[in-house]
Amino acid sequence: MKPILLQGHERSITQIKYNREGDLLFSVAKDPIANVWYSVNGERLGTYTGHTGAVCCSFTKSIWNVLTGSADNSCRLWDCETGKQLALLETSSAVRTCGFDFSGNIIMFSTDKQMGYQCFLNYFDLRDPQQIEDNQPYQSVPCNESKITSAVWGPLGEFVIAGHENGEINQYSAKSGEILKTAKEHTKQINDIQSSVDLTMLISASKDCTAKLFDSTSLEHIKTFKTERPVNSAAISPIMDHVVMGGGQEAMEVTTTSTRIGKFEARFFHAAYEEEFGRVKGHFGPINCVAFHPDGKSYSSGGEDGYVRIHYFDPHYFDFELEA
Amino acid sequence: INNIMTSYFIVFFCLLEDVLRERPLEADGIDSVVVVDSVPQVGPELEFYIFSDKTINYDSVKNYVFRGFHMHWLEDPDCRDQYSVIYESGEQTAIFSNDSKEPILVEERAVKTYVRWSLKGTYLATFHQRGIALWGGEKFKQIQRFSHQGVSLIDFSPCERYVVTFSPLMDTKEDPQAIIIWDILTGQKKRGFHCESSAHWHIFKWSPDGKCFARMTQDTLSIYEIPSMSLLDKKSLKISGIKDFSWSPGDNIIAFWVPEDKDIPARVTLMQFLSRLEIRVRNLFNVVDCKLHWQRQGDYLCVKVDRTPRGSGIVTNFEIFRMREMKGEGTSVVVLKSIIGFAWEPNGGRFAVLHGKSPRINASFYHVKSNGKIDLIKMFDNQQANSIFWSPQGQFMVLAGLRSMNGALVFVDTSDCTIMYIVEHYMASDVEWDPTGRYVVTSVSWWSHKVDNAYWLWTFQGHLVQKNNKDRFCQLLWRQCPPTLLSQEQIKAIKKDLKKYSKIFEQKDRLSQSKASKELVDKRHLMMEEYRRYKDSAIQLYNQQRELRLQLRGGVDTDELDSNVEDWEEEAIEFFISEEIINLGDLM
Repeated sequence: MKPILLQGHERSITQIKYNREGDLLFSVAKDPIANVWYSVNGERLGTYTGHTGAVCCSFTKSIWNVLTGSADNSCRLWDCETGKQLALLETSSAVRTCGFDFSGNIIMFSTDKQMGYQCFLNYFDLRDPQQIEDNQPYQSVPCNESKITSAVWGPLGEFVIAGHENGEINQYSAKSGEILKTAKEHTKQINDIQSSVDLTMLISASKDCTAKLFDSTSLEHIKTFKTERPVNSAAISPIMDHVVMGGGQEAMEVTTTSTRIGKFEARFFHAAYEEEFGRVKGHFGPINCVAFHPDGKSYSSGGEDGYVRIHYFDPHYFDFELEA
Repeated sequence: INNIMTSYFIVFFCLLEDVLRERPLEADGIDSVVVVDSVPQVGPELEFYIFSDKTINYDSVKNYVFRGFHMHWLEDPDCRDQYSVIYESGEQTAIFSNDSKEPILVEERAVKTYVRWSLKGTYLATFHQRGIALWGGEKFKQIQRFSHQGVSLIDFSPCERYVVTFSPLMDTKEDPQAIIIWDILTGQKKRGFHCESSAHWHIFKWSPDGKCFARMTQDTLSIYEIPSMSLLDKKSLKISGIKDFSWSPGDNIIAFWVPEDKDIPARVTLMQFLSRLEIRVRNLFNVVDCKLHWQRQGDYLCVKVDRTPRGSGIVTNFEIFRMREMKGEGTSVVVLKSIIGFAWEPNGGRFAVLHGKSPRINASFYHVKSNGKIDLIKMFDNQQANSIFWSPQGQFMVLAGLRSMNGALVFVDTSDCTIMYIVEHYMASDVEWDPTGRYVVTSVSWWSHKVDNAYWLWTFQGHLVQKNNKDRFCQLLWRQCPPTLLSQEQIKAIKKDLKKYSKIFEQKDRLSQSKASKELVDKRHLMMEEYRRYKDSAIQLYNQQRELRLQLRGGVDTDELDSNVEDWEEEAIEFFISEEIINLGDLM
């Protein structure tokens, strides 16, 4: 089936996320709006306007709220259906990553190390409206050594798993903020961390040209997937033993006379064998984010070219097997 | 076919001639080396050499005699060739053995250097601030070290006995040190020379038998002989205006050319250097430039002449000299458009020319017939090519569009000039054939392009065999082999019996292939089991946590996508699918 092309952003896509049921796809980019689309046909449902800088992350939940963080030094809560901004949390530096915990009651976001400010990991409990009003997180964890570049919640909301600029992955307790576990497997910056749909595993995408599979609870390193280019994003299939990865050269290294139009590829690896078995072309620039639909029958990718592409798998994708 | 002869024979054949020639005189025995009989018994581990040079002392001999056996790589039972790889932007050097499944690492060193193989593959030279080092043998031990501060270029003699080093740093009037010739076996410096500029390395060109080397300076051709390192006949040749020269790779003949001088036309001369006899001379008119291209075996010489016949616009003539036939009248081929590349087929009488202006580049193939006629066999037009790479065995070749032409590759069989494969190695910067002509490596060097640095291995027909990514890969160089010891008759006989040998090789290949498949299948099996075990334990934990999840979501089960269908609303939505415009007129 032909991929569905979503044109709703003027600048490079920074993140895409499906909601829990998968019928909605959210996209954010370096321009200040967030879009939400119907994943079945690519029709745009709406736009969240309010940010004034690049939007670096978004996350949705089964309850009808959307959370976004931006380089305009704010984190905002929106009503998914109406697009109305419900809350505004101002920060001292750009918000890098954010998310709801499993219960939907607690939100976390990290701020960048910028303009003299440290990197902080902040926790807000939404059941306590005072915290939002006063812009006072109940827990604020400073990250002195290396700033957080991507983070996801653990399976039961007990901790946040964060990837850092130096390649480390740490579990931060949601209660005390202390580091519970550490994994030092990557050698360069973590660009993206995504959980499996059941939250038992996570996959980290790194500038060191690999993606790695970890157990969320123990942070045990399970698998490594090697490429020859920096990996910007990776996702775990909900139904097959597959992972998808997207990457490409740094924007500065791409020459303008490159004749490889549309040749930036998403790569599919077998999760158990760590072997690449397929590629999908189509983007005109590096791929910045990938995501699987929760039912595993399609996936999406967002690129430096500002496009989001939704791909529904052909039947033979599900039958494909590596000899074993 | 690369049959591997035993080491015994290789060593024996190389040395016998030398041994007999350098049989020492009686008087040389005093404070010199001990002679062991007249013809030494040569074992597979040691090489013996007999010197008549009085400057050799016991230590250097001991060093040499016991250094070990250097032809080890030729004895690989699967006939794998070796190659050197420089990667990590020049910080790492490795030697690999070329196995079609995957490269086998032989040696790896963290050393910031360029490397060069000697012409028969015996030595690997590395460059250092203080000079060069030569390595060899099974374990790549250091064999020799030559001190030459700031050395930047080197050249091996064809027989591998000498190495020439150049450094721009050292040169004094009294003690010329810019170029030094070293004796590899003894480690001694033989002679130093001045150097005006290193613009045309190789400054010294060796005769094919390694007995002489020559260099050109203003109006002069100087030929030196080995081992004395002094001028042949004690004087240089005065050749007024000499612009370029080169040795025939097969015979003791030098070709050189001289540009126009007032009313004397430009000319190309072929000279037998021992007798100084000019065996062929050809006058050329309106010459802008000449380039000398010898065919690999010295069977042909092509002089590429750029001329301006009517004073404007450059026309290129290829003047071909046939060296094996009679007083070769050179026959010319005229190709009008701009010449991009020219290359002789090794072992054969064909040559390929790339000509034209991008994007309309043509590849023309010619055949020099025994009667002197030159046939155009075929011309491929509209090629994305800027370089020609013949297999060292002839017949097969690759037309490549390197660097700015994005790595387009065309594999051609010139026996009937058919294109076997058109493929691409995006941004490839280099192409290197292995010494046997079985494999070709294309690579993207970090020196040329900062991403996707890798080398790919192809068969001579253009099938991609391997893709090897190497962090900041810079350069791959194949290790050359000594010339075959088989006679033409023996080679003919082997080709006749090829079917018999093919069967054995195919069987071996199939076994190793199925072994590899089996290994891969077993490996995958193990990995899957491990993965399943992990997943099972993760799911166990997940199931145990079900209660907690229900609590966190207020009793709502969200474990499956369809866990709470009751919450779903059904809605009918209309989608726009396609539009069809029908003229009302058509309906009537």
